[in-house]
Amino acid sequence: MAIEKQEVEKLAKLSRLKFTDEELHTFIKEFESILEQVKAIDSVDTSNVDLKECGDRVNFDSLQEDIERQGLSQTDILMNAPSAKDGAFLVPITVEEGK
Amino acid sequence: MNYLDCSIKEILENLTSKKITSEELVKLCFDRIESTDTLNALNSTYKEQALIQAKEIDKKRQSGEKMGALAGVPLVLKDNINLKNTKTTCSSKFLGNYVSPYTATCAQKLVDAGAIVIAKANMDEFAMGSSTETSAFGVCKNPIDPTRVPGGSSGGSACTVAAKQCFGSLGTDTGGSIREPASFCGVVGLKPTYGRVSRYGVVAFASSLDQVGPITRTVEDSAILLNILAGEDQNDMTASKESIPDYTADLNKGVNGIKIGVPKQFFTNELSVEVRDALLGAIENYKKLGAECVEIDLPNVDKALAVYYIVSSAEAASNLARFDGIKYGKRANNYDDLVDLYYQSRTQGFGKEVKRRIMLGNYVLSSGYFDAFYRKAKRVQEIIKREFLEAFEKCDVLVSPTTATTAFKLGEKTKDPVSMYLSDIFTVPVNIAGVPAISIPCGVDSQGMPIGMQLIGRHFDEKMLFRVANAFEASTKEAK
Repeated sequence: MAIEKQEVEKLAKLSRLKFTDEELHTFIKEFESILEQVKAIDSVDTSNVDLKECGDRVNFDSLQEDIERQGLSQTDILMNAPSAKDGAFLVPITVEEGK
Repeated sequence: MNYLDCSIKEILENLTSKKITSEELVKLCFDRIESTDTLNALNSTYKEQALIQAKEIDKKRQSGEKMGALAGVPLVLKDNINLKNTKTTCSSKFLGNYVSPYTATCAQKLVDAGAIVIAKANMDEFAMGSSTETSAFGVCKNPIDPTRVPGGSSGGSACTVAAKQCFGSLGTDTGGSIREPASFCGVVGLKPTYGRVSRYGVVAFASSLDQVGPITRTVEDSAILLNILAGEDQNDMTASKESIPDYTADLNKGVNGIKIGVPKQFFTNELSVEVRDALLGAIENYKKLGAECVEIDLPNVDKALAVYYIVSSAEAASNLARFDGIKYGKRANNYDDLVDLYYQSRTQGFGKEVKRRIMLGNYVLSSGYFDAFYRKAKRVQEIIKREFLEAFEKCDVLVSPTTATTAFKLGEKTKDPVSMYLSDIFTVPVNIAGVPAISIPCGVDSQGMPIGMQLIGRHFDEKMLFRVANAFEASTKEAK
């Protein structure tokens, strides 16, 4: 299965990842051989499977009571922040004045 | 006697009868950890804290207080399980300095039972791998032959138990990550039924497949730990309310009259001769013990690996989208704007295998491919699940090798992702079907490397797995 470089570049953008040209090249080759393996499922007849009927075994009948519970404190939430100030996460400017 | 050779059951007896204190035991574990440090099984250790806890437990025991079921037993957690105020790195540079603000349910249950968590174990980065070679903190080595891999992704968890640095550990298993390393290191690894153990506080890889389970030196220890770990959790909707039996109750009932299914698709040409012979020997042994063996057909089980790589990568791509360098984890030092901050932080923070899975996941989820890959894979998953359910109408458990070969050499498969993925060929179908499975040692090859046997059970029938596994373990102990 041939993969175009352009396609992988688009995926990298969706994934918010950067690759060097060399990395992209290796990546395309590996990707092709993985997809070759994955193609195995094409041969299975799945016409008698209705995905709506085979949800994972989650018991939706037993939803939680809507009661207030103690969550993590602000200190706990911020303790791993790469950058924080006055109880908030700091991020680069996203909306600039006059733009 | 060397106390480090004891099982959890035996060490609890020694602690209860006061032949050894928990403090002494913790010190013994740390002596072993230091003398076997080159295995690189552990990402972080908590000696000081462990000794404080051990002393408290010893004091309680001395004064005759009621003790928890694991009081004073040193255990290890995989480094993707949160324990408050300890680092949880997932062996990733992205989380290299991440400190858990809360404790996972499974870890809390062990702590509540009196266990002493002495360390967190090395693993493949974000549990993506089959050899612990994708760890950002160096490869972990096989304790039986350090030129070989311990398996993965819970390689550190299996290594630390096999190297007798502790008495048991927790791993996580999305496609074989408990059973394959247990097999490679010659210990017992259980992947419980999906939903049997809460996943709350365990860093998600593929949420519909991930399951937490114990790695131990005996089948009985595995049952003892599952007794503590199993159960519902208000913080995990997928944790089942299914009743919890005493998993140790049937351990010694034997296999007389039990039907053991042998899936013909699991005895293929990929199997090494030595692994095949060990398995056929084990099956003969079961027959001698009174079990009936029947051939089973799982026509589409060979598609499980393809289904796995589509479904798990899709879920991984979604789960790992949260690593943005804003709220926790790695933030790149230099970036142009917010979007560039995401790019730089993720590109610098994630390793190669993790990036590969994110890309594959986004590929199968992207428009134009979603039906052909993701939706088709979910349909095939249902067919495989049905085949397992049908098989269990004809037998009580299924038997297979855990892996096609014994532990391979370090570096042998790192250049070829597809050959690495094939390491999981016998373990992945179990996660796809959501059923439980246990890997137990069933011999060694000519190099002395352990061979693992996998027993697969019905949904929520871990009790039967323990019974059948224990019958084999007991018979091999007698033979010695």
